[in-house]
Amino acid sequence: MCARLFQSVFAMCLLTLPALAQDEPDTIAPEIGSRVLENYVTPALARFDETSSSLATSLSAACESGSAGDLDAARSGFSDTLSAFAHVSVLRFGPLVAENRFERVFFWPDPRGVTLRQVQGLLAAEEPLPSDLADQSVALQGLPALDYVLFGIGGDALADDARRCNYAVAIANNVAEIAAQLEAAWAEGTSFRVSFISPAADRDPYRSKAEVAGEIVKAAGTALEFARNAELLPALGKTAEKARGKRAPFWRSGQTFAFAAAQIDGVQKLIEAAGFVDGHSDLVNGYGRGMNFDLSHAREALLAVETAPEMAFSAKEDRGRISYATIAMEGAKHTLNGELSGALGLVMGFNALDGD
Amino acid sequence: MEIDRRTFLALAAAATAFRPDRAMAEQEALFLGARLNAGGFEAAVIDATGRDRLVLPLQARGHSFAIDAPRRRAVAFARSPGRFAIAFSIDGKGEPLAFAPPSDRHFYGHGTFTPDGKLLLATENDFEGERGITGLYDATAGFRRIGEFGTGGIGPHEVILLGDGKTLCVANGGILTHPDYERVKLNLATMKPSLSYIDLETGEITEQAELAPELHKLSLRHMTLDRFGAVWFGAQYQGEDDARPPLVGRHRRGEAIELFPGPEATLKALDNYIGSVATDSTGEIVATSSPRGGLAVFWDAQTGRCLGERTLKDGCGIAPLADHRLLGTSGRGAIVRTGPDAPLETVRVNDPGAPAWDNHLRRV
Repeated sequence: MCARLFQSVFAMCLLTLPALAQDEPDTIAPEIGSRVLENYVTPALARFDETSSSLATSLSAACESGSAGDLDAARSGFSDTLSAFAHVSVLRFGPLVAENRFERVFFWPDPRGVTLRQVQGLLAAEEPLPSDLADQSVALQGLPALDYVLFGIGGDALADDARRCNYAVAIANNVAEIAAQLEAAWAEGTSFRVSFISPAADRDPYRSKAEVAGEIVKAAGTALEFARNAELLPALGKTAEKARGKRAPFWRSGQTFAFAAAQIDGVQKLIEAAGFVDGHSDLVNGYGRGMNFDLSHAREALLAVETAPEMAFSAKEDRGRISYATIAMEGAKHTLNGELSGALGLVMGFNALDGD
Repeated sequence: MEIDRRTFLALAAAATAFRPDRAMAEQEALFLGARLNAGGFEAAVIDATGRDRLVLPLQARGHSFAIDAPRRRAVAFARSPGRFAIAFSIDGKGEPLAFAPPSDRHFYGHGTFTPDGKLLLATENDFEGERGITGLYDATAGFRRIGEFGTGGIGPHEVILLGDGKTLCVANGGILTHPDYERVKLNLATMKPSLSYIDLETGEITEQAELAPELHKLSLRHMTLDRFGAVWFGAQYQGEDDARPPLVGRHRRGEAIELFPGPEATLKALDNYIGSVATDSTGEIVATSSPRGGLAVFWDAQTGRCLGERTLKDGCGIAPLADHRLLGTSGRGAIVRTGPDAPLETVRVNDPGAPAWDNHLRRV
């Protein structure tokens, strides 16, 4: 147990690693930042902006009409927004980290059930809803809160509860606003974008293309580690008896596995955009394809889960699928942080990558 | 106390490893560090030439040490969220003793002895209660846990004892973690780091120093005392990548925290991360290491002026060696003598086959 725990702890710490590359190895695509921007960041942000805005609109319509069809459309809009955010969530650096944007959209993990407590408190309170959710606790602002409002107890009768309905619209608007901010922070002319696509010694935060490559590697590793350690493993528990599906994100909407699978898909698309799969270095491509092999299997295993998340973690066959996915994700991450990073010439020190 | 099979095996192996090759003079400068050696984790006692004087296998990655120099013993702590600690004789006399915190606590990797050697204090996580703890262990009775104090914050990391021998200073890093979520940071949006001063007799927090609200993501983690009695700390920034808040600061009792950014290029080179803080033998020079930046930076303890920097790739361990000199270790196996006044001297070169030194080096 200790060895396994240690391994995953060790791996987890790669999260905090800024890649320390000393040279500019030619295994890194010269236009790595532009490629990732064009083929991953821009489309992912655009889709998140579009789905979250559309969710706000469909929720307003559902609240106004009270029709079951409109509620279904809004709920489906929620799934689309989750799927879009899953790709954005992989970009956990720069604009997504600034101003607590990640936590505001996706306050997770939440081992103490802060979201449920605060959302129920807000719904039950007498005073008017806050005028601007952005000033409120991060737990009240994002998609886990909306998961409860739309799919928790009372969610079916959303339109009958004006307060709940207004709150749902407010969350969707808040998420859409954050999506717009992300696009603005990555927009042409911003210093972050300039540094990402044209790193230079006098630019911040990226001084070289190796630092950009390091950020991409770190982001991919962080996403895999987060999905595994913060989303799947706590719900899986060490034994079926200890499984607790309600510790997984978005179990109420039944989107747990679709969301994690979309995050894995995001990692795959990100490493492809970075040129780690079909780039100019055969060595790097070999490791990138190895990762893709593991990640495709992990994704397929998660998508094959048919039981509702609440029960799936303790259902024998599904438990096996989830467990397999976490192992394949771990394997991909080892390839990423080991061989693939090495092939990119990213020197990762024992202390630098894993400090405390 | 819980000791798993791996610990037991490690200890059994340690018994055979405990063979100092010659009698160690008590006045000799010795250093303690955790390291990764050929795939195995160890705690090692080395001399100033980098030679191993004692090697103790550990069941998993270690972090820092509490040292009871008058009684020639030390305690190696597991790195967070580990739950093992091993007390051992620095001179290799007698068998090491493993102990653990209660099952609802884990160590953060740092601790200190009281000057009389009677108590060991260790920073711990009450992860269900989401609060920082200083665990109290009876160092005269097999390190039995006899109580705990709250640290007045979340994520306490390093703890040091002030010169009065009865006040603890704890750096509450502010980052909430739970072992079920490995090392995932659970509260970045609401972090509130602080320095807490705790009266050892009563457990009362007698003073608490905090940063300005806009610096709430500056995790205060490692500390040392300068010769004037002030607490120096090194921080790790959890906010935006392109923000460059000061990372080094000083706190004098009763006053506000002072922050020293140093030159812009140096601050940038530190890469928002300081891994260890130590003084030279005089206590007049403070050294802060950044493994991410691959450098150590020196500060005048009196004025806060930056005295310069020295490159040490993946360097983190740093401990007093002599006047204006410190011994530094790196994850690439290097051991160096360094300081602000003279060029860096290599004691051991980078070597992929050598032990990779972990975050902290402590002088006995």
